[in-house]
Amino acid sequence: MARYGMVIDETKCVGCHACRVACQNQNHLLEKEAYNHLEEREYGTFPNYAREFLPVQCQHCDNPPCVKVCPTGASYKRKDGVVLVDKDKCIGCKYCIAACPYNVRIIKKEGYIEKCRFCIEFVEQGGKPACMTTCMTGVRMFGDLDDPNSEISKFIIKNKLKQFKAELNTKPRIYYKKA
Amino acid sequence: MSLDDLKLTRRRFLKVTGATLGALSLSHELLDFKHWVRANAEAPVTRIPTFCNGCGNRCGIFAYVKNGRLWKIEGNPEANGNLGVICPKGHGYLHDLYNPSRLRGPLKRTGDRFEPISWEQAYKEIAQKINLILMDSGPQSIFWVNYPQSNNPYALRLMHSLGSPHYFTHGSTCYTARNAGWVTTVGDLPSNDLSNSQYIVIIGRNPAGGIDLAEVKKIVEAKEKGAKLVVVDPRHSETAILADEWLPIKPGTDLAFLLGMINIMIKEELYDRQFVKEKAVGFEQLDDEIVNYPPEWAERVCEIPAKTIVRITREMARVKPRALLHRGYHAAFGSQYLNSFQTARALAIVNSLLGNINREGGIYFPKSAQLGELQPKHPAPELPKIGKSDGTGVPGRYPLGSYGDGIAHAIPELALRGELKAGFVYHNNPLRTNPNPKRVIAGYKKLDLLVVVDTVLSETASIAHYVLPESFYLERDEAVDTKHSGKRAQVSIQQKVVNPMFDTRPGTQIIIELGKHLGVEKYFNFDIDEGNRLRLKPFGITLEELKQKGVLFVGEKWKEGFNKLETPSGKVEIHSSTLEKLGFPPIPRWEDPLVSPDSKNPSSFRLLHGKQAIHTHSMTANQPYLMAISRRYDLIRLWMNKERGRRLGLKDGDWVQVKSIVGEGRIRVKLTEGLHPSCVWLPSGYGIFSKHLKTAFDVGLSYNDFLPTLFDPTVGHAMSSEIIVQVRKTSELRS
Repeated sequence: MARYGMVIDETKCVGCHACRVACQNQNHLLEKEAYNHLEEREYGTFPNYAREFLPVQCQHCDNPPCVKVCPTGASYKRKDGVVLVDKDKCIGCKYCIAACPYNVRIIKKEGYIEKCRFCIEFVEQGGKPACMTTCMTGVRMFGDLDDPNSEISKFIIKNKLKQFKAELNTKPRIYYKKA
Repeated sequence: MSLDDLKLTRRRFLKVTGATLGALSLSHELLDFKHWVRANAEAPVTRIPTFCNGCGNRCGIFAYVKNGRLWKIEGNPEANGNLGVICPKGHGYLHDLYNPSRLRGPLKRTGDRFEPISWEQAYKEIAQKINLILMDSGPQSIFWVNYPQSNNPYALRLMHSLGSPHYFTHGSTCYTARNAGWVTTVGDLPSNDLSNSQYIVIIGRNPAGGIDLAEVKKIVEAKEKGAKLVVVDPRHSETAILADEWLPIKPGTDLAFLLGMINIMIKEELYDRQFVKEKAVGFEQLDDEIVNYPPEWAERVCEIPAKTIVRITREMARVKPRALLHRGYHAAFGSQYLNSFQTARALAIVNSLLGNINREGGIYFPKSAQLGELQPKHPAPELPKIGKSDGTGVPGRYPLGSYGDGIAHAIPELALRGELKAGFVYHNNPLRTNPNPKRVIAGYKKLDLLVVVDTVLSETASIAHYVLPESFYLERDEAVDTKHSGKRAQVSIQQKVVNPMFDTRPGTQIIIELGKHLGVEKYFNFDIDEGNRLRLKPFGITLEELKQKGVLFVGEKWKEGFNKLETPSGKVEIHSSTLEKLGFPPIPRWEDPLVSPDSKNPSSFRLLHGKQAIHTHSMTANQPYLMAISRRYDLIRLWMNKERGRRLGLKDGDWVQVKSIVGEGRIRVKLTEGLHPSCVWLPSGYGIFSKHLKTAFDVGLSYNDFLPTLFDPTVGHAMSSEIIVQVRKTSELRS
């Protein structure tokens, strides 16, 4: 079976936030609820200056701290690599928010915790994550990391991509291309 | 109310189906979203092609409706203008369908209040007033002003039917200097063949912030093929993030940069000799003039090192004609400075010297669909006998002003002088988007009749005598559109996705109904569909086919090269005899900006403005999804160079007072290394003062608050970066 993952090419992100609102619409989120965010960084002094945006969302870790700390089993890892929250089991204790080093989980108005789901139900119907398809610079790639011939696998190998905060041993399924 | 409230949530699904499933005790793996997915998948989802109204680009979209509610939009991959992708404004603005600020029916002013009125009664009363004004002041006292929409030809028809020449666009505050520069030089406004270019220089324009989705996609594509991107901008724009080089030019001196480039191109014979010989006139005069502008001179004026100017010019020449300077839009030379027209001229000339005019990878004339006519079935009104009173096209006034666009920011002046008496404002909000709001308010309030067609009570609608509520773009069928030009022309259509929620009507229908009530019904004996069918006739495609696809290619494909341009000589006019006759420099010559900051005064700055990717003019600030981004990322701030801020004792995030000769306001600063020290930069889209727009009211500032009413003497554009402001530290408390 496919085991999903993503590439985020942060050299291409211009910080427009289309991914945020596309995701909100796809997932019926309220205006302040977002499954992805941008971290802006600046380098240098005028006129030798550069800035970049780092898009961050649930990294769908293979060693997910959120799953480990969840007292009810609401946060869980699926066989296809996707980390999800079962809202009926979630008691809103926020342990997972504290444990996640990526700051990507939100408390829904209804009281449970949610986060990026890789648009998995849409993907299972043949779609692609909304954050990816809306992007004018093509920041994201999505696909099967278990298939060595997939476009995304080849891209990761060719560019020797690394994960975000890999040193934490969370084993994220999102790989970043940096400047 | 959010979309969330009415959708079939998983929770609700479980409630509904739990009993029949009898499966609530199953493990979550089984129970989880698989059933929910199925239920949601089974919920009726319809996908309707239409186009977005979140800005003027009118991107092709598919709108999804689920459980009877609008769900989301996706980009139409066929559409030339957006090639399948959508910006944050597009995703955010659709929520305004359910915004409580929306107008629910026609309104009539009674004293300081609005009262509901029926459409019929509103039309009747408007017609009575227009008839009186026609008798007293003549047809030229009536005007229509709008932001670009597909139904603009019908609005022009309405004005002409009444005998008025006064149809205006927002152009004089946006792009008329750029257009005039290009038209004078090559006879038309071209486009950029970005994806095939090997070297792209962009001056001022920021397609990744003032979003043009297709342009950004093509820039990325070109870069992946090895193209170089250079961004010349006082601010490290969003496009600069993608660039190989950012050149922070001193604001208002782009002309010097270009003159320096021309100097080197001629001195080192880097230009396309054959193209210049065969396709251009006036090279000799340019040769004579340009010796005055060596790159060392340019460096002193524009602060970009001479060696950089020389290097970039050489690099471009090496890959010509697959090298281009972006044709520009609003910033730098759209309508910003006294020298904008000559800057646009110089930019067109540099491109011409590269021999890239109508060439692959260069500047090209895009294919645009020529729609069919309504006549003879529906006679066309005669052209008005009187010319526009704004002076566009008139020697001695604004001879290079665009007659078609008019000078919209002159409307308040013409109203105060009593030349304009009645106006229709459609899909436009001049009280917020024109310079010097006090003057604009005074002008528009002087009108005997102001009718505003909008979806909300904007600043302008708030002072109208009648407000006619337009259906939201997802609720209405509209006129066939030709916005999506490109290597092959397209026609596109906006169509109803959901039923209107309130007593509102499509813009085209309102124009037709106004025509019928204003006594010019013989020009308006058709409806939206019939008009569309007649206009599609030349292409041999049916309205049904277009509605099914949303966007269709029509006509011939673009071909390289040209025989004759639409200029008096038929060639590129490096030297313009038209300009010579009018007494303007026929060869671009250095011209200082109108005003400059006082370099000895630490508080004195030029005020620049520009778009953020999340807002369009004044129309999206009230959208909670978009305003949430402004707040979450602290984007409602004035950019200032860090060192200048330090000298004023400012820390990042401090409150400052901003003051010009016409306005004053308070805002927080963002201190950055990514801005030229001589200016401050204000994101446009904020400063909403209509109390009816609750999310946006009193948030941030607009550059228009500080800008005097100015008219460039050649084109008549607003010169909207010719503002000097004093910036001082202050507290948040208002005086």
